[in-house]
Amino acid sequence: MLKRHLPLALVLLIAALALLLPFFLPWSYDQIDWDAVRAPAFSEPHIFGTDDIGRDRLARLAAGTRITLLVAMAAALVSLVVGIAWGATAGWIGGKVDELMMRIVDGLYALPFMFIVILLMVVFGRSILLVFVGIGLVEWLTMARVVRGQVMALKQRPFILAAEAAGTPSTTIVLRHILPNIAGVALAYLMLTVPQVVMVESFLSFLGLGVQEPLTSLGILVKEGADDMDMAPLGLLLPGGLLVLILVCLTIEGERLRDRFS
Amino acid sequence: MSLYEIDQLAVEIAGKRLVQNVSLTVEAGQCTAIIGGSGSGKSLTCLTPFGLSPGIASGAMILDGIDLASADHQQLRNARSRLTGFVFQQPQTALTPHLTVGSQLQEAAMQAGSPRPSRKELALMLERVGLTRADERLDQFPHRLSGGERQRVMIAAAIAHHPKLLIADEPTSALDASLRAEIMDLLDELRAEHQLGMLLVSHDLASVEGHADQLVVMAKGRLVEKGATRTIITRPAKDYTRRLIAATPRLDEAPPKLGQPGEPLLETVDVGVEFPRPGWRSGKIRAVVNADIMIRQGESLALVGGSGSGKSTLGRAIAGIGPVTSGEIRWQGAPLPGRRQRNLAMRQLIQPVFQDPVASLDPQWRVEDIVSEPLRNLRPGLIAVDRSEMARQAMLEVDLTEDFLSRSPASLSGGQAQRVAIARAVIAAPQLLVLDEATSALDPLVGAEILDLLLRLQADNGLSLLFITHDVAAARRICHRIAVMEEGRIVESGAMQAVIEHPKHPATQRLVAAS
Repeated sequence: MLKRHLPLALVLLIAALALLLPFFLPWSYDQIDWDAVRAPAFSEPHIFGTDDIGRDRLARLAAGTRITLLVAMAAALVSLVVGIAWGATAGWIGGKVDELMMRIVDGLYALPFMFIVILLMVVFGRSILLVFVGIGLVEWLTMARVVRGQVMALKQRPFILAAEAAGTPSTTIVLRHILPNIAGVALAYLMLTVPQVVMVESFLSFLGLGVQEPLTSLGILVKEGADDMDMAPLGLLLPGGLLVLILVCLTIEGERLRDRFS
Repeated sequence: MSLYEIDQLAVEIAGKRLVQNVSLTVEAGQCTAIIGGSGSGKSLTCLTPFGLSPGIASGAMILDGIDLASADHQQLRNARSRLTGFVFQQPQTALTPHLTVGSQLQEAAMQAGSPRPSRKELALMLERVGLTRADERLDQFPHRLSGGERQRVMIAAAIAHHPKLLIADEPTSALDASLRAEIMDLLDELRAEHQLGMLLVSHDLASVEGHADQLVVMAKGRLVEKGATRTIITRPAKDYTRRLIAATPRLDEAPPKLGQPGEPLLETVDVGVEFPRPGWRSGKIRAVVNADIMIRQGESLALVGGSGSGKSTLGRAIAGIGPVTSGEIRWQGAPLPGRRQRNLAMRQLIQPVFQDPVASLDPQWRVEDIVSEPLRNLRPGLIAVDRSEMARQAMLEVDLTEDFLSRSPASLSGGQAQRVAIARAVIAAPQLLVLDEATSALDPLVGAEILDLLLRLQADNGLSLLFITHDVAAARRICHRIAVMEEGRIVESGAMQAVIEHPKHPATQRLVAAS
C-alpha cells in the first residue's frame, strides 16, 4: 500500500513538514538574522543557510510550500465546485442550453489566461485571494467539459431512465444518481488539477504577480534563488527540487486515479 | 487423423484453473460447436491454444500434426497465420477503422506469405462472401458498412489465406436475427467449398442447430457432454443439456397456455417519433412512423423487429421515457401526455425493464434502495418500515432471498440483476410492463427462467406486457399477439400462432425463418 502510493505519501509528508516546521524552528520566515547574512548551508544554527538578507532558508521553504499547497487546494476546490455545477447542468439539460453553456466555456478557453490575471491584479491590486479566484476561474473549464461528457453518457444509461419512469424528480436524479456516479472521475481530475494550479501559481509568483513579500511561495523562492544562483545555488535547487517533486508525485497519483475511473 | 484435436485441455489464468479436462476434435469440412453460458470457459477453450487469451494452456492441442502445446513462438505464429482463420463477435471492433476494406483484405491474404493479390482477386473474395458491388467496397472504410456487411468482410479476411481451420467466436451474437441465419448459411457453404474445419463458439443452441456436426456442451469450465449434434439434441444424456434444450425457445414446441385478455388498456394512435440528425446535418430521422398498437388488460404483445426498426423507441415513448413527436398514446381511452407532463399516477401505470441488467441498476446504490425507489415517489405516504417490507415482498416475488437487499449491484449475476430490475418494476403495482429485450443479454437457461417469471407475474397480477424483442421464438413463449416493425412502421400484426404459420410481409418471413 505504502509502496504503491509512495507519491501520495511523499506529498502528504511534505505538507505535514511545511505545516509543523514553524513550531520547531526558532526563526520565522520573515525574521532577519543580522549575525548570519548569507550563511552557508549546514552552518549552525541555519541548516540550509540564510538568503541574501539573512532569512532562514528552511523557514522560508516551509512557508512557501504552505502557501503554494494552500493556493493549489483552494483553487482546485473552486474549480471542482464551479466545474461540476456548470458541466452537470449543461449535460443534464442538453439541447440549446448545453450549446450556449459550452460555447461560453470555449470562449473562456480562448482568452489569454495570463492577460486576465494581470488585468485582475492591475484593477484590484495584488492579494492572495485574487490569486485563488483567478486560477480557480480558469481551471474549472476542463472540469466542466469532463463532467458534461460524463453526464451525457450517464443520461442514456437505463438506470437513469428507470428512475425517470419511477417518478423520481429531475433534481433528485442529478443529485442521487448522476453525481455519485461521476464522483470518481471528478476526483481524479481534481488530483490532476492540483499540480496544474501549483504550476500556474509558481509561474505567476515567478513573474511577480503572485503573493506579496514578505509572504512567499515556491515560485517566489525559485525566482529569488535564480537571481542569486551563482553565489548560492542551494537557494534555487531547494525550492526548485521541491516543486518538481510535488508536481511529479501529484501527477502520478492523479493519472493513476484517472485510469482507474475511465 | 482429425484436423484439430484437443485432449485434456486445462486453462489457468493467474493461478486459477478456469477450464479443465476438455477434449474435442474438429474434422476437415465439418463443424464442431461449443455451447455454454457465460463463464463456461468456451471462448478460453478455443482461443488459448493459439495464445489469444491471457490464459496458459496445458494438455495436448494438435493442429494438422503440430502440437501447439510444445510449439515455440515461431511455430505458434505459423499455426496461427497459415493454418487458422478467426472470426470474432464484434464486427465493429474487429476491423481497423482507418484502413479500407481492400487493404485489410490484402493484408489478411498476404499474412501466410502469399504474393500480393490483384484487385480483381480481392473483389472476387468479397463477392464470394455475398457482398454486392465488390469493387466499390474495396475502397470503402469499415464505418461505411452495416454490421452484417462487416461480418462478411471479417469472414472474407479470415479465409483469404486459405486456412484449414476456421475459429468463429460467437460470430452472429451481435447481429440481429435475420442476419444470423444468412451468416451461418454462408459459413456452411464456405466450409463445404474449401473443406474447412470449423470450431464454432456460441451461447445459443438454436443458432448452431442445423449447422454443427459435432456438439460440445460446456458449463463452469468443464465438459458436460459431447457427440453428434442430432444425437445430443434428441437424446441428451446429461441433465444440464436437457435443461439447456428445454430452455431454448423453438417455434415447433407446443404453444404455451396463456390467460384470457380483458378490455383494451393501452393504444397508440398514429404515433411518430422523429430525431434531429446528429451533428450539423439538417433533416430528421423518422424512428417511428404512424405506429398503431393496442394492448389489452392481462395480454402480452410481442413487438418484434431487426435492429434499427424503431421498436425500442416506440417502447420508450409508451413508457414515458422517450419523446413522441406526433400522434397520441391512450390509456383506457384517455390520452396520456408526453414525457415531461406525466404525473405520478400515470407513471405508476407503466414501468420499463431493460436489456442490459447490469446497466439498469445504479452501481452506487444498494439493492434495497434500488427496489424501493419507485415507492419513494409513487407512494409518498409510505413510511420507511412499510417500504422495506414491500421491498422484501417484491424480492420474494421474483424468487430472490431477502439477503440480496443489502448487496450491491456489482455482486449480482446477470440473471439476478434482471430479477432485481423486475422487482423494481413491479413493486409499485403497475398495469403494464415494457420489456425492452429483457431476456436477450442473458444466457438461455437464465432467459427461460425470466420468461417463466414474467408468465407467473402476469397470471398472478393480471399484468399486461409489451415484450420488445428480435427473437420470435422467445416471444412466442409468453405472448398472445405479435406486431412486426420494420424501418419505423408496423408492417404486420395479429395473433401469434397465425402470424408465425402464415407470415405475409417479407420482414416477418425473415424473422420467422431465422428463429
